[in-house]
Amino acid sequence: MYLYLKRVTNIILLIALAFFFFLMGEITTRYFPFSTTASFLQIKQTEVATLPWYLPVFYTHVYTSMFCLLAGFTQFNRNILKKQKTVHRTAGYLYIISVLIFSAPTGFFMGLYANGGIAAISFFVTLATLWWYFTWRAYTCARQKNFIAHRNFMIRSFALALSAITLRIWKVVLVHFFEPAPMDLYIVISGLGWIPNLLIAEYIIHKQTVK
Amino acid sequence: MKKIHFVLIPVIVLFSCKGKNASHSSQLIAPADTSVSAAPSIAKELNTDLYGNWVGDFEVIEADFEKLKGQTISRLNIVIKQITDSGVIAQSVVNGNSRLMRGTMTQSDGKYVFVMDEPGDNKYDGRFNFTINGDTLAGKWQPYDTMLATKTSEFHLTKKPFVYNANVMLPKEWEYVDYVNSKERKESYKDEQSGVVDTFINTVYRAASEKVYQVNSSKQALKERDVKNLRRLDLQILRNTIFARHGYTFKSRAVRQFFDQVDWYVPVSDNVEAALSAVEKENIALLDRFEKYAKDNYDTFGR
Repeated sequence: MYLYLKRVTNIILLIALAFFFFLMGEITTRYFPFSTTASFLQIKQTEVATLPWYLPVFYTHVYTSMFCLLAGFTQFNRNILKKQKTVHRTAGYLYIISVLIFSAPTGFFMGLYANGGIAAISFFVTLATLWWYFTWRAYTCARQKNFIAHRNFMIRSFALALSAITLRIWKVVLVHFFEPAPMDLYIVISGLGWIPNLLIAEYIIHKQTVK
Repeated sequence: MKKIHFVLIPVIVLFSCKGKNASHSSQLIAPADTSVSAAPSIAKELNTDLYGNWVGDFEVIEADFEKLKGQTISRLNIVIKQITDSGVIAQSVVNGNSRLMRGTMTQSDGKYVFVMDEPGDNKYDGRFNFTINGDTLAGKWQPYDTMLATKTSEFHLTKKPFVYNANVMLPKEWEYVDYVNSKERKESYKDEQSGVVDTFINTVYRAASEKVYQVNSSKQALKERDVKNLRRLDLQILRNTIFARHGYTFKSRAVRQFFDQVDWYVPVSDNVEAALSAVEKENIALLDRFEKYAKDNYDTFGR
């Protein structure tokens, strides 16, 4: 019964991930074709005009970050983990390269100029730093064949990757109930988007370690 | 509209000079003003002291009120442009329409009685009947189209020159609530004793923040950081205040509700693009971007 419930939960979570992955894809399409004023950039013209690196960094973030979420479909599946090691390894490299070289560093630099002032900047910069660090540690642990540490760091890393989704869910929920001013909202979600994720990740790690 | 401007510009220029002459020579009521020497080809003008903007409330008094949604009072400007023996030329500016009118004036007991007709090629064209008595212009308007929800509107106007002033602001004593666009929200209340759950549908209106009367969008070159924390309604009001200062007549009821009662607001034109200053143009572009972003993203999953 317990096993059955677990399987159902897993399937539901996978469907939810697929659904939000699709929505994130839709958001990404707003940045095709390349434009200096597309969507989010409409309120970022100060940065676009004054920081020559902003557009390349922004577009790198937008175009590569989708790939990080793909890891959720394969990397936590026991069958693939055990029986399809090449699949796990290939998908793993895709994730690590996306995060370490593209998504996290670009997120860090965008975070330095985040909307919402010093609070939101601190939250986003911390998020990017932790994300890079966890991913890096997960990678080195795997190279050292310390697979328990590898798993734990990847759970943390992916929890932060999911902030792309949870941050936007929080936004919809908070607007529905409170309709806050846009930047007040932004400051709240810049923290709420990932801190609970990380707490849940620690809980999952704790539970698995105890077992 | 372009055509009308072409016709009127030379006329206005000529008469505005004369208006001055006339007021110097005498506080005339007498139609024969011989002190003014005009080119012989132009018809003699009468009562130039009546020329100008007559501004005030335009209120629907007779209508199919079920069909007529929202506010029934808007701001009307009747611009009297030319009075000669052969007739009167005036312009009505209200609810986003600027219409040229032609008609006649007759005098009785020191009052001036006008019957003015709008061209008739717009759905909302009709006939103005009004009287100028001292400093008040009062009368009624009826549409040609009897199928329109509005049957009769009434107006009481006083003379008010239009002067563009970048300093004027929305009054801070007022609350700016959008009564035109509302949302319905279901709320359930449970009666503790009987356990019965009642569902109410509440209508929720948006209110603007104090920024709409603190930020001067015509003078201050706005930066992104100045407007980032503003909701869509604030952005819209700030942008439309620029147009209101220039005497733009708004078509949208959602916009008119904020300006029609403002003292300094004199609708004079349905196109003010050419009058916008460089700062205003930049602010409009900035506010437009933020409005669009707010509309597409504020309450959705995207960003």
